[in-house]
Amino acid sequence: MAENERLDAVAYLDRFFDELRDEVRTNPKFANRLVKAMGGKVVFEDSTKTDIANPYLLAAEGNKSEFYTVFSPLKTTQLKKILKDNNLATSVDIRGKSPSQLLDMLYDRASLKVSERKSSYF
Amino acid sequence: MTAIIAAIANLKGGVGKSTTTVMLADGLSYFYGLNVCVVDLDAQANSSQMLLTERGVQMAYEQGKGATHLLSSFIKGEPANVADFIMPNAVSLEELRIAEENDDRLGWISSLPSHPHLRLQEMGLEETWYSQAGTPTSLANKLAEHFKTGFDVLREYYDIILFDCPPHLSPLARAGLSLSDVFVMPTIADAVSTWGTKQFSDWVGANVAPDLPSRNFVLITRFRNTGYSKQIANELQEVYLKDRWFGPKIPESVHVLNAMERAAPDSYDTFRGKYGGVKGDVKRLSERFTDFLSQQRAGRKWQKMRD
Repeated sequence: MAENERLDAVAYLDRFFDELRDEVRTNPKFANRLVKAMGGKVVFEDSTKTDIANPYLLAAEGNKSEFYTVFSPLKTTQLKKILKDNNLATSVDIRGKSPSQLLDMLYDRASLKVSERKSSYF
Repeated sequence: MTAIIAAIANLKGGVGKSTTTVMLADGLSYFYGLNVCVVDLDAQANSSQMLLTERGVQMAYEQGKGATHLLSSFIKGEPANVADFIMPNAVSLEELRIAEENDDRLGWISSLPSHPHLRLQEMGLEETWYSQAGTPTSLANKLAEHFKTGFDVLREYYDIILFDCPPHLSPLARAGLSLSDVFVMPTIADAVSTWGTKQFSDWVGANVAPDLPSRNFVLITRFRNTGYSKQIANELQEVYLKDRWFGPKIPESVHVLNAMERAAPDSYDTFRGKYGGVKGDVKRLSERFTDFLSQQRAGRKWQKMRD
């Protein structure tokens, strides 16, 4: 933007929101953070779940059916990636497992870790 | 078999005692096929957690296993039947598990785990002891006597027993050090940790055994490859702890952090998968440590089973 360009307040806001919209469209991690910061509920698309869906956060919410709704559409390779990226399984653990076994492993291990690590007082 | 007992100890916290304990246990069992027992005397229970997982630590406690139950035997005046308190399987390496499954065991890790309750129990014991005119030294000595009866028996079943000591001079830490043939002192290459190595080493010499500092293996952990760290590490090796044995520098690395988090009690990984970019460091640590042990116990051979 040229330094001497003069815009009214609405034009400035339009530019700001245009940029924000573009970023939300193209950067699912940012979109996730933004929606959460505003107190909204994030709806994950399958294509971005492996990058942004956090099994610990979802397990901590204690809603098993919601957890399965989010992760069950994922393919075997995506489930394996989430398990490994979150230190919930090793390559040895996931070898030869079916998608439903992987999904159960994801839920069971994430839930167990949350229950072991979450403070009982606050 | 007559196990060597090695205490992993330092007065300072956060220097990598538990990480070093687990790397030694994995490296010695994997490369040298040794039967290793890890005894966790630290109420933080980090090495137990790394070996057994948090769930495993809790299960062990509920099943009457671990250091809290060993301490209970002392409090109740019962014999120290250490074998009863051991979890016989703390292996997370797939290769060791498969060898065992094929009835061809080549290295194994057992655990006498800790639990956060241990510190409360120890504090209760201290209160009672001191209220009866006992002293910290007399308590540490009595505990060491009690442990000795138990661990002398255990020495026949293991090649090496590793005591992971807490980062303070509790009676349990002192008892563990008293029983040790050698001690491993992890440290960090910074000024405060360097000063701490002198303080701790001098304290061990004055209060545990005058010759124990001569049986010391030093390991620089969380090493950053900076000029400052290199200079401090160099000073440690060339000046301050000049006559000690030094292991390889263990880098500060996400691979180390990942390796120390076991996903579940039934989770296994290959050595290569577990240690990733630091597998060579763990190998060199095992090699250097067995060289050190060879010097400490002449005639004992340490033969590699895997490479």
